[in-house]
Amino acid sequence: MKRRVVLVDDHDLFLAGVRAELGEAVEVVGQAGSVAEAVPLIKELDPEVVLLDVHLPDGSGDAIINAVAADRPGVRFLALSVSDAAEDVIAVIRAGARGYVTKTISGAELAAAIERVATGDAVFSPRLAGFVLDAFRPGDQVTGDAELDELTPREREVLQLIARGYMYKEIAARLHLSVKTVESHVSNVLRKLQLSTRHELARWATQHRLV
Amino acid sequence: MSLRTFAPSSDERVIAGVCAGIAQTLGVDPTLVRLVFALLALAGGAGILLYLALWAWTAGKRVWVAALLAFVSGVALLGALGLSDRAVLGIALIAGGLALAWRQGGSFHPDAPLSYGGIGLAALGTVVLLSGGGTSSALLAPGAVAGALLLIGGPWVWRLALERDVERTARIRSEERSDVAARVHDSVLQTLALIQRHANEPRRVASLARRQERELRGWLYADQPLGDDSASLLAALAAAAGDVEELHGVRVELASAGDCRVDPPVSALVLAAREAMTNAAKFAGVDEIDVYAEVTEDVVSVFVRDRGAGFDRTRVKKTRRGLVESIEGRMERVGGSSSIVSSPGNGTEVELRVPRSAT
Repeated sequence: MKRRVVLVDDHDLFLAGVRAELGEAVEVVGQAGSVAEAVPLIKELDPEVVLLDVHLPDGSGDAIINAVAADRPGVRFLALSVSDAAEDVIAVIRAGARGYVTKTISGAELAAAIERVATGDAVFSPRLAGFVLDAFRPGDQVTGDAELDELTPREREVLQLIARGYMYKEIAARLHLSVKTVESHVSNVLRKLQLSTRHELARWATQHRLV
Repeated sequence: MSLRTFAPSSDERVIAGVCAGIAQTLGVDPTLVRLVFALLALAGGAGILLYLALWAWTAGKRVWVAALLAFVSGVALLGALGLSDRAVLGIALIAGGLALAWRQGGSFHPDAPLSYGGIGLAALGTVVLLSGGGTSSALLAPGAVAGALLLIGGPWVWRLALERDVERTARIRSEERSDVAARVHDSVLQTLALIQRHANEPRRVASLARRQERELRGWLYADQPLGDDSASLLAALAAAAGDVEELHGVRVELASAGDCRVDPPVSALVLAAREAMTNAAKFAGVDEIDVYAEVTEDVVSVFVRDRGAGFDRTRVKKTRRGLVESIEGRMERVGGSSSIVSSPGNGTEVELRVPRSAT
C-alpha cells in the first residue's frame, strides 16, 4: 500500500519537482498553497502524511497543524523547508510535526522519510540533530522537569551520529543496537523537543505564541 | 502635513475651530494658538481680522476676501506696533509682493517660475521702508521690521525644513537600498550571470546555486556578512564546502552544534577539513559528503564523512601529502588531533579536533 500524502507549499515549481521526484513511491492525493486551503483539504482527505512548508503566504506551517490535529489525530506532519532559522523549525516541531527535512533532500531520501513518519517514527535531518544538540547543551541550568530537559548520553550519541550523516541502520551497527532502539531514542528526543521547557526552546515558542 | 492644507477642527472648536485646526496641523497645544490670537487681537484688532481671514479661506474658500482681511490685519498689527505710515506701507508692499511671488512660484522650488511683478513690488516696498522707516521710532522700528519679515518668511522656512526632513528619510532609505543592492550584486547577480553562462553544465550550475544559497542563508539567518568567510567557524566551513562543491561537483551537507570565532588553530582546523572534503570528493566516488561541526566548552570538532570507496591506510604511499601533511601534520602543529577511520568499501570518516584557546 502506498502512503497517501498531501503536499502543502506555495511554490508551484517546487511542488511539481517534489511530485516528480517522489514518482511512484507515494500516492499524492492533494496539494494546497496556503493555510486557508490546506486546513479543509486535509480534514476532507484525511491523508497519512502531510508534507508541510514552514512558510506560507497566509501564515506558518504550525497554524495548519494546530487547526487540524484535534480533528484528525491520525495525520502525521513532516516539515520541509528552505529555512534554517532555528525558531521556524522549532515552532513547527513543537506544534506537532514528526520531523524536519530540508528542501535539498533527494527524492529517495524524502520517500524514506515519509515512510518513517507514517509509521510513527521521527525524522531528523543532520542540521536539526545538530541544532537539538546545541539547544540541549549539557551543564546548562535547567529549571523544569529534568527528564524532559536533559538528553541521556545515549540520545546525545545517536543525535551526534545523525548530525555526522549516519543513517539509522549505520548508527545501530556502530552502537551495537537494533534499528528499533535507535528509532525509539530519536522519538524520545522528539518528545523532549516538543515538551521541554528549556529556555532556548521556550523562548522561541513564546515568540511564536505557541504557549 | 502642509500648512496650506489645514482645516478647521470641528471636534475641539470654540468659535469656528480655526485655532484648533492650526494647532492640529502644527502639532501644538490649541491653547497656545488661542493665546497668540488673543494677543494679536489686542494689537488694533489684528487677531480678530486674521481669524476671520483664515476662516473665510478654509470654510468658504473665498480666497480674495481672506487675502484682503489678512492684509488689513497685517497693517493693523504693524500700526499697533508703532511703525510710521511709510514703514507700514513699505512692509505691506513687501508682503504683497512676496505673496504674489509665492502664489506664482509654488513652494520655492528652484525650477518653479518666479513672478517678477511680485519681486518688483517687494523691492519697491523695501525702498519705501528704508527711506522712511527710521523716522517714527528709531528703537522700535527695526525690531518690528524683523518681526514682520519673520512673519512673512516663517512659513517658507518651516516648509523648507519639512521638505528637508522628508528628503533625508528618503535619502537614508535609498542608501539602505543601495547597500543591499551592492551585496546582492556582488553575490546573487554574479552567480545568476555565471549560471546563465554555464547553462549546459548541470553539475556546475548545481554547485553554483548551492554555494550562493549557502552564502545568502548565512547572511539572512545568521547575520554573517555576505562574502566574509572569516567571520566564524561556520562561515569559514561553509565557504570551504562551497569551494569543494564548485571544484568537484559534489554536494556537501553541513550541520553544526554551536559556533565560535576563528583563531589560528580553528583556521588550521578549517583548512584540514577542506582538505578532507577535497579527498572525499576526489577519491570516494560519491556525490554527497556530510560535514558536522561541534563546538563545546573546551574543544572544537569537525567530522567529514563519505559513504564511498574507502581505503586501506597501510597502502597509502608515504608521499601522499594530502593526508599526512595537510591533515595530520596541520592539526598537530596547532596542538590538535585527527583520526581517520576508513576501510575499503565502507567509506571514510575524518575527525578533527582542536582545544579551544583560553580567550
